[in-house]
Amino acid sequence: MRTMSEGFSRRSFLKLAATAGAAAAVPGCQPAARKLIPYVVPDENVIPGVPQFYATTCTECGAGCGVVARIREGRVIKLEGNPADPIGKGTICARGHAALQGVYNPDRLRNPMRRQGSSLKTLSWEDAEKLLNDALKAAAAKGKDRVAYIGPAHQGPTLRAITEAWLAAYQSKRGIFYEAISESPARDAAEMCFGRRDLPVYHLDKAEVLISFGADFNETWRSPVELARQFAGFRAPQMRRGKLAIGYAYYVSPRMSVTAGRCDEWIPAPAGAEAAIALSVLNVILSQGWVSPNAQVDVAGLKSFVASYDPASVSQQTGVPAKIIEAMGERFGKADGAVALAGGDDPATHAAAYVLNVVTGNLGRTMEFLEGMPPEPETRTNDIVAALDSMRNGEVDVLFIAETNPVFTMPPAWRAAEAIQKVPLVVWAGGVPGETAEYAHLLLPLHHPLEDWRDTFPRAGVHGLGQPVMQPVFWSKPLGDLLITSARESGAKNAAPWENSQDALRSAWTKLNPKAADAEGFWIQSLREGGYFETAQQAQVKLNVAALKTSPASRQLPKLVLAAYPHPFLYDGRGADKPWLQEVPEPVTQIVWDSWAEIHPETARQYGISTNQVVEIRSSEGVIKTSALVSERVCKGVVAIPTGQGHTALGRYAKGVGANPFALLKPGQWSAPITITPTHDTHELATALFKNHQLGRSIVEAQTVTELASGVQPREWQEPEVPKPHEMYPNWEYPTHQWGMTIDANACTGCSACVAACYAENNIPVVGREEVLNNRIMSWIRVERFYPEKKYEHQPLLFLAPMLCQQCHHAPCEPVCPVFAAYHTQEGLNGQVYNRCVGTRYCENNCPYKVRRFNWWEPEWPEPLNYQLNPDVTVRGAGVMEKCTFCVQRIRHAEINAMIEKRPVRDGEIVPACVQTCPTHAISFGDMNDKNSEMMKRRVAAHNEQRAYASLKELNTQPAITYLRELYNEREKA
Amino acid sequence: MAAAAKPVSGPTYADIDRGVRKIMEAPGLAYWAWVGFCFTLVAIAAALWTRQIYEGLGVTGLRQGPMWAMYITNFVFWVGIAHSGTLISAILYLFRTRWRTAVYRVAETMTLFAVLTAGLFPIIHVGRPWYAYWLLPYPNERSLQPDFRSPLVWDAFAVSTYLTISALFLIMGLIPDVANARDVAKGWRKVLYSIVSLGWQGTDTQWQHWSMAYLLLAGLATPLVLSVHSVVSWDFAMAQLPGWHSTIFAPYFVAGAIFSGVAMVLTLVIPMRKIMHLEDLITDWHLDSLAKVILLTGLIVTYSYGIESFMVWYSKDPIEMMTFHERYFGYHGWVFWVCIFCNCIVPLALFSPRIRRNTVLLFIITIFVNIGMWFERFMIVAVSQENNFNPSQWAIYHPSITEIMITVGSFGWFLGLFSLFARFMPIISMTELKEGIHWLREAVRDDYYPGLK
Repeated sequence: MRTMSEGFSRRSFLKLAATAGAAAAVPGCQPAARKLIPYVVPDENVIPGVPQFYATTCTECGAGCGVVARIREGRVIKLEGNPADPIGKGTICARGHAALQGVYNPDRLRNPMRRQGSSLKTLSWEDAEKLLNDALKAAAAKGKDRVAYIGPAHQGPTLRAITEAWLAAYQSKRGIFYEAISESPARDAAEMCFGRRDLPVYHLDKAEVLISFGADFNETWRSPVELARQFAGFRAPQMRRGKLAIGYAYYVSPRMSVTAGRCDEWIPAPAGAEAAIALSVLNVILSQGWVSPNAQVDVAGLKSFVASYDPASVSQQTGVPAKIIEAMGERFGKADGAVALAGGDDPATHAAAYVLNVVTGNLGRTMEFLEGMPPEPETRTNDIVAALDSMRNGEVDVLFIAETNPVFTMPPAWRAAEAIQKVPLVVWAGGVPGETAEYAHLLLPLHHPLEDWRDTFPRAGVHGLGQPVMQPVFWSKPLGDLLITSARESGAKNAAPWENSQDALRSAWTKLNPKAADAEGFWIQSLREGGYFETAQQAQVKLNVAALKTSPASRQLPKLVLAAYPHPFLYDGRGADKPWLQEVPEPVTQIVWDSWAEIHPETARQYGISTNQVVEIRSSEGVIKTSALVSERVCKGVVAIPTGQGHTALGRYAKGVGANPFALLKPGQWSAPITITPTHDTHELATALFKNHQLGRSIVEAQTVTELASGVQPREWQEPEVPKPHEMYPNWEYPTHQWGMTIDANACTGCSACVAACYAENNIPVVGREEVLNNRIMSWIRVERFYPEKKYEHQPLLFLAPMLCQQCHHAPCEPVCPVFAAYHTQEGLNGQVYNRCVGTRYCENNCPYKVRRFNWWEPEWPEPLNYQLNPDVTVRGAGVMEKCTFCVQRIRHAEINAMIEKRPVRDGEIVPACVQTCPTHAISFGDMNDKNSEMMKRRVAAHNEQRAYASLKELNTQPAITYLRELYNEREKA
Repeated sequence: MAAAAKPVSGPTYADIDRGVRKIMEAPGLAYWAWVGFCFTLVAIAAALWTRQIYEGLGVTGLRQGPMWAMYITNFVFWVGIAHSGTLISAILYLFRTRWRTAVYRVAETMTLFAVLTAGLFPIIHVGRPWYAYWLLPYPNERSLQPDFRSPLVWDAFAVSTYLTISALFLIMGLIPDVANARDVAKGWRKVLYSIVSLGWQGTDTQWQHWSMAYLLLAGLATPLVLSVHSVVSWDFAMAQLPGWHSTIFAPYFVAGAIFSGVAMVLTLVIPMRKIMHLEDLITDWHLDSLAKVILLTGLIVTYSYGIESFMVWYSKDPIEMMTFHERYFGYHGWVFWVCIFCNCIVPLALFSPRIRRNTVLLFIITIFVNIGMWFERFMIVAVSQENNFNPSQWAIYHPSITEIMITVGSFGWFLGLFSLFARFMPIISMTELKEGIHWLREAVRDDYYPGLK
C-alpha cells in the first residue's frame, strides 16, 4: 500500500490531510438537502475563505483518474488531479475539469417529473418511487425478464453490483451496459490472440518506436492522461546507444488527429485499411527476420498468416507507398523497445498490433497483461440486440435507463428509439435530459457522481474511491440508493443486502482490505487518498498463432468512405452539454461549437465542395447535414466527422449544434460507405485561430533532434544578435521573487487541459459560436496551433504550444495604459487592476502575443453555473480588459501562508491552474530569482543545450516565459 | 457673377455689414428642416450609444485584433479636420496672409465643432465611459494619477488644450462682430449678442487690448497646430504594432490633417457661399488660395505614403513587410487604393487654375479628399491591427450598424452645430474684412487674376 510519506509535496499532503475530515463533514447518503442554503448557522468545520479538499474520482470516462475537489463554502469550485492516483498522477484532462459543469448544469433535471400527454409534471420522490416500484412489482409478477435496464459500462464495480442485484430482484437478465466507444474489438482481438478478454496496459515511455493504427491515445483512447504522460516521456530527448534521440512515432489513420500531429509521420490510410497495413508491417518484420528471440512464437505459422500482406500488394490496395510500410517495419523491428497501438472497430487491427508487440519481444515490456483485471464491463452486442428485440416485441414492461443516452449513441440499425417506445413504462434517470429522456414516462434526477458515492476499477491494482464532495444542488437522489430501495421493495429475499450505496461501497471495500483487522482505518485511509492502489501482477500470456484469423482482405474499400472518430472533448456526445467543452477549440481544426466533415482538397474538388458549404452525407443507415472543411489533413476519398454533436435535446448548450455521425454507422463500425452531395447552403465553422501558419515568425519553434545533439539553432529561426537597445527607464528590480515559467513545447500534446483548467480557476466566461466567429473568445491561455509552411516540408506535422501572458519584463501593455490599470508588480507580473480599467484597449493593441481579452459583454452564468465561480477571482464586467495573471490568487495564498509561518515561499508551493493540470508536465512555474527552482533548472539546461527560445524575441519584451523548442526526427524523403 | 457688375471700387464697409447681417436674419423652413435632419441623425446615434453603454461594446464590430476601428478613425479624422481652422486663423494671421480674412471664421468655427465632435469619440470608444475622466489628473484621496508615459494621456491633454484655445480664439474674434450684430438685433438675439459681446463698445482702448489679446492667442494657438496632431499620431507611433510604429507619423499626420481640414473648409464654404449669396465676400480668389493649400499638403501626404512604404522595404523587416503587403493587397486592400486615388491622384487636378476656380469641380475634389482622408485613418487604425504580430490572432474587422450610425451621427452633430452657428453668429469676420477691404476690392475685380483670360 502506498503511504503519504514518499514522493509527496506538501501541497499534496495538505489536500489529502484535508480529506481526513471528509467522512465526518459530508453526510454521505442522508436524505438530500433540497437547496443550497447560505450559512445562517455556520458549520464548525468550514472556515469561510479557506478551501477544503476532498479526494474523489473522475467518472467522465472509463480511465478512472483520481481527482481532488476544491470546496469553498460548501460548493465544489474546481477539480484537480489526485497526486496519489497512479493513473492521472495529479493531473486531469479537459473533460475532467468540465465535470463541474455537469454538477452545475442549468439544464439538469431538478426534480422528478412525469410525462402527461405532451407536458412534464413535477411529482414528489415518494410518488415517483411508488410509481416505479409498483410497475416493477407488476412486471415481475408477470414473469421473468419483464424489466430491462440500460446504463453506461463504466459505472464502477459497486454500482454495477447494485444494478445487477436490482435486476436479479426483479428476475431479469436484460441489463444493457452500453458504450458507443467500445473496447470490444480490442477484447475480441485479445481473446483471439491470447485467449483472454482483458485489455493490456502500455508503457509508451519504454519504447523508442511507436506505431499507432488509429489509436488517439492523447485524446480519447483508453486512458489519455496516463498515455499522454508516457508519450511525453517517449518523446523526451535521452541518450540511446550513445546518441541523443527521441522516440520515433508513426500514426496510420484516415485523419490527422492531434495525437497524429504529435507523431513524426502521419500516414494517411483510407478507413478500414489500418489492419492490412499493420499486417503488412508484420510481414516485413517476419520476412526480414527481425523477430525477437524472446518472442517464442511460431514464426512459420505467422509467416503463412501474413503471406498475402506483402508491402507491394497492400500498397496497391490501400495507396500507402510500400517504401513507407517497409520503413515502418524496419524501424519497428530493429527498435530496442517498440509499441504498436490500435484503435478503431476492426479486431484484426488490434490483433495485428498485439502480434507486432509480441514478435518484437515487447510483450511484458511496452505492453503487458495484468492479473486481476476488472471483468469486461460492456454487454455483448448480441445480448443488446436481443434485449432491444424483446422490448420491440412487447416483452418488457418497465425499462430503466440511467446516465446514458442510447437513442443518441446507438446505431440506427438497432432502432433503439422504436424499441423504447414499445415499453409501457420508461424510466429515465440522470442529469441533463437528452434524446432518450424524450421517450421516458418518468424522469428522475440523479446525484452527479461528485455528489454521490462511487468507486472505479479501471485496471488491476487501481481502486478509486469517490465520495460526495458537496450537498446536492437539486432535488436528486443517488442512483445506488434508488436501486437498493427499489430492489428491497421487490420483496425478493436478500435482494440488496445493503442499507444504501455508501454501505454497499463500504462492504465492497471491506473485502479489498488486505489486513482485515483495521477496517475503519483502511476506509479512512482510502477516503483520504481517493482509493486503494497496489501493484498488480503481470500475467503470463502466450500468443496462439493457430487461432489468428483475419477479415480485412475481403473488406472492400469503397470510393468514398466516412471515418467517424470520437471528438476529443465531446466524446460520444456526453460532453456536448458542457459549455467549456464546446468552447475549447478542437486542437487540430480549432473549430468550436460545431461539427464538420473534413474532406481532402482533391476529393472536395471532385464533388465541387468548398469549406463551410453544407454537405449532405448519406449512408445505408441514414443521412446527416454538416459543414464541409476542406483540409489536407485527411486521406483522399475519406470524409471524417467527429462524434458528439447533433443533439436534438440535452439542454441549451448541446441542442441544435452540429450533426451526429452515429446516424450513419452500422453497429460496431466506425466507417461506412457514403455518398456526399453539396447543398446550396453555407454554415460558417467558427474557429479560434485566423492563420494556419506562423509566417516564419517565432511563436512556436521546433528543431530536429540532430540539431539539439550538435547544439545548433534551427535555421528557420536563426537571427543575428541585435545590440542591446538603449533603455530609457530604469530597469525593474525584483527584490523578492520574479515569477516565471518554462514551457516545453515538445511535451505539449494539445490536449487543452490547461485551457479548461484556466476557465475553471479564473471565472472565464463562455461566449458561444457567434462571438467566436467575431473573434471574441475569452480564453486566457490557448494552445497555439500552426501547420508547417509549404516551403519547410521537413518541419513537424503540427506546431503546438500553450500561449498565455508572457509576463514581460518590458511589457508593451504597461506604459500605454493611461490609468495604471496595467502595471508592473514587484514580483515581475504584468498586473491588471480590473477596477481601474477604463477599457481603452490600448494594452491589447500593443501586446504582440495577443493574450489580453476584453469583456465585450456582461458575462453570464445561468444559475446554477455561477455556483462554480471561484470566489478568489474577481468576476469582470463589461468594458474591462482581463488577462492571465499566473493565477495571482494562488501566489498570494502561498505567500500569505509562508508569511504566517514565518518562512520563505518554497519552490513548488505555488502551482497555477494550467501547470497543475498539465498531464505531461510541459509547463513549470517558479521563481526566476531562485536558481535552484525546478523551473529555472529546466530553463538553464535548455539554454545550455541551445533549445530555449523566447517568443517574438526580437521585440525585446523579455518574457518571463521561456519555451523549449519542439523536437522532431528528420524524415526520410518519401 | 454679381460682383462683376459692381464698380471697380468694390464693396464698402456698409456692404460688408449688410452682407453679414443678412445671413443672421431669421432663417426659413428649409434651414430648419436641414438642422432638424442633422439632429435626427444625432438622436439615432445617441440612442445607439446608450444601448452600447448598457449592453457593452459587443454591439460594435470590434474584436480581438482590430480593437480600435471606426471610433478612433473618426476621432483622428475630426481632430484632423480641426487643424486647418487654427492654421488659417492663427498661423496665417501671424503671417498676415490676405486671403484668410473671408474664410477664417468658417475655419475657426469648424475647428471648434470638429474638436467637440472628435472629443466625443474617445469617450464613445472606451469600455467604461463613465470612468473616462480617470485619464485626467484630478485630485483624489487615493492619490491616483494617470500614467504620463501613456500617449493617451498626452492625447487627453492635447485635445483638451486645443479645445480651450480654439474656443477662446473663436470667442475673442467674435466680440467686435457680435457687438456689431447686437447694435441692430432685437428680442432674444439682442440679449444673446449682448452677453457674447461682453460689453464691447469699440473704443480705441478696447481695440488696442483686443488686438493684443488676439495676437497673443494666435501666438499660443500656432504651436498647437503642429503639436496636437503630432500627439494624436503618437497614439499610434508609440505602439510597436507594424503599420503604426513609425517615426514619420507626426509630420505625416499634420500634413494630412491640414489637407483634410482645408478640404473640409472648402466643402463647407462652397455651398454656404452659394446658399447665402456671399460671392462678394468669399471670392474665387479665396477659394483658389485654399485649393493651393490642398494641393501642397496633398503632395506632402503622397510623399509620406511613399516614404512610409519605402522605409518598410528598406528596413527589410519581414513582419512589417507582410503588414504592408496585407495593407495593399489584403482583405482591406481596397482601402489603400481608395486613399491613393482620393489623396494622391485626384488632388493633382488642382495644378490646373481652371479647376481651382470651378467651384463645382473644386467641391467634388474636396469631397474626394474628405473620403480619402477618412479611409486613410481607417487604414492606419483598423487595417494595421488586422495583421498583427501573431498570425493566429489576426481578424477581419466588419463595422456594425452601431458604429456606422454613430459615425453618420457625428456628421449630423458637426453639421447641425455648424449650421446653427452660421445662422446665428457672424460666420464671416466683418472686422477683418473691413481691415482688408482694399484686397477684397481687388479680389472681386474681374482682372484680379492676370493670365487667366
